[in-house]
Amino acid sequence: MPEAPSFRRSRLSGELPFRVLTLGSVLLAAALLFALVVVIFEKSLILWPVEAPLTFLTSSGWFGSTDPSGAITAAFGALPMIWGTLVTSLIGIAVAAPIGIFAAIYLVELAPKRLAAPLTFLVEIVAAIPSVVIGLWALGELSPRLRDSIEWWVASTLGQFIPWLSEDPQQPSDTSVFRSGIVLAIMITPMVAAVSREVIRSVPQSLREGLVGMGATKWETIRLVILPTARVGLLGAVLLAFGRAIGETIAVRLTIGMNISEIPPTLFQPGSSIAAQIAGAFGEASPIEKGALAGLGLSLFILTLTLSLIVRLLMWRSANRMGSRA
Amino acid sequence: MSQAPLPNVRLDFSLTPHDIRRRRTNQIMLRVIQAAAIVSVVPLFTILFVIFSKGLPQLSLSFLLNGPLEQPTGIVNAIQGSLVMTFIAIVAAAPIGIGGGIYLNEYASTRIARIGELFIDIMLGVPSILAGLFAYFALVPILGHSGWTGSIALTVLMVPVVMRTTQEVLRLVPAGLREASLALGVPRWKTTIFVTCRTALSGIMTGVILAISRGLGETAPLLLTSQTSNDVSINLGQPMNAMTVVIYQNATRSDPQIVATAWTTALILFVIALILNVSVRFKTVNNRVF
Repeated sequence: MPEAPSFRRSRLSGELPFRVLTLGSVLLAAALLFALVVVIFEKSLILWPVEAPLTFLTSSGWFGSTDPSGAITAAFGALPMIWGTLVTSLIGIAVAAPIGIFAAIYLVELAPKRLAAPLTFLVEIVAAIPSVVIGLWALGELSPRLRDSIEWWVASTLGQFIPWLSEDPQQPSDTSVFRSGIVLAIMITPMVAAVSREVIRSVPQSLREGLVGMGATKWETIRLVILPTARVGLLGAVLLAFGRAIGETIAVRLTIGMNISEIPPTLFQPGSSIAAQIAGAFGEASPIEKGALAGLGLSLFILTLTLSLIVRLLMWRSANRMGSRA
Repeated sequence: MSQAPLPNVRLDFSLTPHDIRRRRTNQIMLRVIQAAAIVSVVPLFTILFVIFSKGLPQLSLSFLLNGPLEQPTGIVNAIQGSLVMTFIAIVAAAPIGIGGGIYLNEYASTRIARIGELFIDIMLGVPSILAGLFAYFALVPILGHSGWTGSIALTVLMVPVVMRTTQEVLRLVPAGLREASLALGVPRWKTTIFVTCRTALSGIMTGVILAISRGLGETAPLLLTSQTSNDVSINLGQPMNAMTVVIYQNATRSDPQIVATAWTTALILFVIALILNVSVRFKTVNNRVF
């Protein structure tokens, strides 16, 4: 056997297995994702004969039992949980978006060099705190303080006129939708800041110089050039954080309460969210209720899937724009 | 010849009321921006302070080394459980994530790479509770409530973190390095392993550490899968305790002694998270999970 070809063969012999192995990893990961969706969907099938998908999404009430004879009596409505998920996340993002974006502007545009690096690090550390630790802190420290300060103040001023901001002053509850929203705000602010920082950093330097050269103040540069240029990317950052808030389970579970039968009449009363409900009710759930929880899980997946798709589209668009300008 | 006035041209450079207003707006807005930056790190210090003041008094060697049923009580089973399940999960997730990241960046066509990117996004966005739900429905009938089920739930959450980071850091490796290696006759797969991946090694490790940090911090999926246990054992075939689960369950109890153990456990978990993130921070590659 001639030597050269066998030498070539031996050198290339690793090529195919390596490709197969790496491609296999991609396919395995994809299979995990598909399996996740399929399994949750499959387990929710038990629910749909009892509760049609549309009624499930638009009604309230959480009750189900199976007779000894096997007949199922059930009324499952996801509306209070969907409402709770969206409202807490909206409160969270309403607070986190301006603070996070401004913090990012500070880090990129204003902070003295010596301060920028440690401050960035601190922001990232907040993002790294496990959510159960934040939940513990929120339950023990933050929540009672919010109740006695902001909630009390808003309820006794605005709450006089706006029903959904009122509170029974004699019996303020231990948990509330509003407090969960604030906890989410604290958790996602660092995420908004971190992603916004990358976006703002990628605004071309020449644009800043152009405006400064015309005598604009720092704030005018930020308002007229940086924010408009980074608009799409910042929106992506906010939506990404919104997705994180929607899926947050434990911190919400500890602060929102367990009111699953109705949409609470005011923001200062207990509610529930999709993720919190799954985590809280799963342990003692009957088979039919597990089906209903799978249905909840499916709606949660659809929500976050939609957000992920929107964010990715925005990022591609923003990358194209930045690329053509730079 | 009298000098003609120059209409509309302002020769004196003193500040007009308009300029003064612009300056004042500037001052105010810069202060607001500064305040936002401060506000965003205030919770960190508050949480730090509370965790240390409430958690430190109970911290002792016996708390770290005793089981929950011993006197004085400890959380050694939860620490073991967290470490063992996270270890198994990362052993499974790291090869899948790194391999997938390599394929997407080194071999896939642009179109496939884009689809891959999109799919990593979706997987990163999956709330952790859904990974728990999936592992419960798919695996509890086979493996029961056990450490294995918990580990697999964590694997689902770790894979996209490693894959995203790997793909991003491999993209930063200069094409010239690969070309030089290929020009020397080194086959592509060896170039990928010994040139591209070695160059990006610290970045890839960053992804692995981030994934470990995520696994240690997860609560919701473990509640549904590995549940909880008082046994001091590293048998993955049985229910297992985890630090996060201890915090969650003790947080809502009325006995202040038990709540105090939640704070101490939180302190330990926080310190571990801090160490992992500091170690990531001092890697050379500055990349974000996005």
